[in-house]
Amino acid sequence: MTPFLEMRGVHKRYGGVVAADGADFSAERGEVHALLGPNGSGKSTLLKVLTGVVAPDAARVAIDGRPLSVRGPRDALRAGVAAVYQELSLVDELSVLDNLVLGVEPARRLGFLDRGRARAAARPALDRFAEAFGGRPPAEAPVRDLAPGERQLVEICKALVREPSILVLDEATASLRSGQVEVLLSVVRELADRGVLVVFTSHRLAEVQRISQRATIMRGGRTVATVPIPQTDEGELVRLMVGELAAPKREDRRGGPAERQVRLKVSNLAADRVHDVSFSVRAGEVLGVGGLQGQGQSELLATLFGVLRRRNGTVRVDGADVHASSPAQAVAAGFAYVPGNRATEGLLLRRPLVENLALPSLGRRSRLRLPLSRARELASAREAAVRVNARYGSLDEPAGSLSGGNQQKAVVGKWLPGRPRIVLMDDPLKGIDVGAKAELFDLVRGLAADGAAVVLSSSDDRELTEVCDRVLVMFEGRVTGELSGPELTEDALLASALQVHGNGP
Amino acid sequence: MTRPSALSAGPLRPLLGARMPTVATAVLLVATVAASAVLQDGFFTPYGLTSNFAAVLPVAIVTVGQVIVVLGGGIDLSIGTIVTLSSVVTVQLVAGQPDRLPLALGAGLLVGVGCGLVNGLAVAVVRLQPIVATFASSFVFAGLALLILPTPGGEVPSLVTLGYRQVIARAIPVPAVLLLLLWLAWRAVLAHRFGRHVYAVGGNEGAAYASAVPVTAVRLLSYVAGGTFAALAGFALLANSGSGDPFLGNSLTLTSIAALVIGGTRLSGGAGGAGGAIVGAVVLVLIQSLVFFARVPTTARELVTGAIIIVAIALAGLLTARGRGAGP
Ligand SMILES: Nc1ncnc2c1ncn2[C@@H]1O[C@H](COP(=O)(O)OP(=O)(O)OP(=O)(O)O)[C@@H](O)[C@H]1O
Ligand SMILES: [Mg+2]
Repeated sequence: MTPFLEMRGVHKRYGGVVAADGADFSAERGEVHALLGPNGSGKSTLLKVLTGVVAPDAARVAIDGRPLSVRGPRDALRAGVAAVYQELSLVDELSVLDNLVLGVEPARRLGFLDRGRARAAARPALDRFAEAFGGRPPAEAPVRDLAPGERQLVEICKALVREPSILVLDEATASLRSGQVEVLLSVVRELADRGVLVVFTSHRLAEVQRISQRATIMRGGRTVATVPIPQTDEGELVRLMVGELAAPKREDRRGGPAERQVRLKVSNLAADRVHDVSFSVRAGEVLGVGGLQGQGQSELLATLFGVLRRRNGTVRVDGADVHASSPAQAVAAGFAYVPGNRATEGLLLRRPLVENLALPSLGRRSRLRLPLSRARELASAREAAVRVNARYGSLDEPAGSLSGGNQQKAVVGKWLPGRPRIVLMDDPLKGIDVGAKAELFDLVRGLAADGAAVVLSSSDDRELTEVCDRVLVMFEGRVTGELSGPELTEDALLASALQVHGNGP
Repeated sequence: MTRPSALSAGPLRPLLGARMPTVATAVLLVATVAASAVLQDGFFTPYGLTSNFAAVLPVAIVTVGQVIVVLGGGIDLSIGTIVTLSSVVTVQLVAGQPDRLPLALGAGLLVGVGCGLVNGLAVAVVRLQPIVATFASSFVFAGLALLILPTPGGEVPSLVTLGYRQVIARAIPVPAVLLLLLWLAWRAVLAHRFGRHVYAVGGNEGAAYASAVPVTAVRLLSYVAGGTFAALAGFALLANSGSGDPFLGNSLTLTSIAALVIGGTRLSGGAGGAGGAIVGAVVLVLIQSLVFFARVPTTARELVTGAIIIVAIALAGLLTARGRGAGP
């Protein structure tokens, strides 16, 4: 029997980089099929060939046994394919509703827009995700005003509005928190029950194991295996993905830094969406910030770094009062910051990688009034790339050409200068594969071991339990819980995040 | 309820961000109208209003054309020369005879559409840089205009020039009615799929493409729209001046860009609109005539006008930039 979706011999190269090297993929109707592989293995490329965004050098695609020539996204859409891309594809200035129906706007005669039908088409998807949005989704608000998780949800709704028979989710859960992920997974299950094929890419293997029936694993642009999920344990999946490298091990390092000095002390901090937050972090400690999506975690870090205005409260670094009202002042006080949104704050996607990686150190150089030297720029870029083990074709290519995970590594490498005293990281590990995650864990732990205080927010509870000594749980801008030592488990984090929900107003 | 993302946040956001260009534009409008009322004798008489609206209309029409191109992520540096070319074709064909008007207007419109098509093909299909492509085509269009009408001349039927300066119901000048029609035309663009797609392509081309928006066609059509509006502006200029001139509209290119910036349209595309830009055109035209009525010596007029325009643009820009929220 021919499979519902069949892709054979997908080849794609970008200049010198081979992104897909004869990849094959097939999947059935009504199936949730995971596509796994390390960063840069070609998953997104393969999926974009299916959705028509990338023109392959060679490929044969057939749906239901009928060969399909996909010359652009319109052909794919007509064949019933809709996608959520890893790099979000929303138009900032348009409203949520306009984005949801973009490209498929219902129209009256002569192409005049029909707002009523647009609203009707968008409603089921928005209603379905109302819980995940935490209330009525803001249909008329411009997308630029949304938090990263909300943008992600809008993106998912947008794919659903197209009523696909093949739904592609490329890292759709990367910036969602557990409650939102649950909603998405239940929607995915419903769609599959109705006969939709869902192709699901994620670096969170626990999700993959819960939702999918089969997984296809890619390595170096080729598909290496397709395995049934219930019969394959996580260790086996990791082995297939990264070869011999073992999964990140949970070493026990709790209770180390208790006797070290307090490095950062925050008292009664208030800002937009941050209310009366107090905590302290010792040198060598990794403090996590968790909770449901968008409870002020990003704002807390941005306020500490002087990006958002502080309204109240004190911040002490090694006992001395610090009032950073700009990032430059925060850097001078020893802070480093890894921003959460790589597309807008983390990277200049269109500029070459070398410029991106060397940018934060330009300040230091220009103070010496030296003209920028290409050699130095290259050297410091290379150093930053090595620090995080980013995979790239050439430093002269635009940062936007890196795979999603490698872009994220570049963000981390770029924003971590030599020896910061305090490191603030806003969801730094999203979209990073298991192997790289282990490396970045080591990097974070290494920074702490060198005496830095690390404050790290994450949308992934499991990450928090693995890398942090202690985790603060936030709700509506306040710290409502704290977990450490043996209490720090995924279940406890979720319970703490939700329990507040129950008692809340 | 919306949750601003961390770095674009702020309670003042809606006030400063979205509405600020409009506030800045409104301030400029009030200031220039007030100054004109003081300095121009009879500004609010039917005659005064008619001559001001008559001067504003062509500028406003070109600006709307330019706005569509700029919103779609492009720019048309040839738009003023399209105005000229289609107006000289029209004036040569009409040759002062009212019965030839349909032919002449049709031909002028076709010239505008054709020029827009040339620009659109160069930018959207051949994928040349918009600045370079339209800068080059501006020389071609200007050159053709000179071949067709080497020296100022040609006659517009008096029916047209007189009609253009009519006042309806004692107080409403015909050009003001036409300006209202222009605004309605823009509303129609906004209510159409094409308008939505223009914003999407200019705002985030990759997202638009991935969403199955026909990016190439939208881009091409935005230049065609630009050329069409340019032709219409040429007709308004002819009606206002009564005769042709091989340099008639050339200076409108930069005027249209200045007007849309004053009106709060972002030069990189995807944000803004023709409502503000029309007001920007009014402000610019009033500034030019203010300098005249303030009895600035002829030799200093250009300088003074330029300086005032810079201040106006800076004001619009400053107020807009504030709202954009500083990144790290
Ligand atoms: N537009 C582009 N230009 C140049 N190289 C590219 C481009 N897109 C992808 N690549 C390269 O192709 C390779 C495969 O990238 P792809 O995005 O498919 O990886 P991925 O498996 O999705 O990784 P991740 O898990 O990090 O998202 C990478 O080495 C990447 O750098
Ligand atoms: Mg990817």
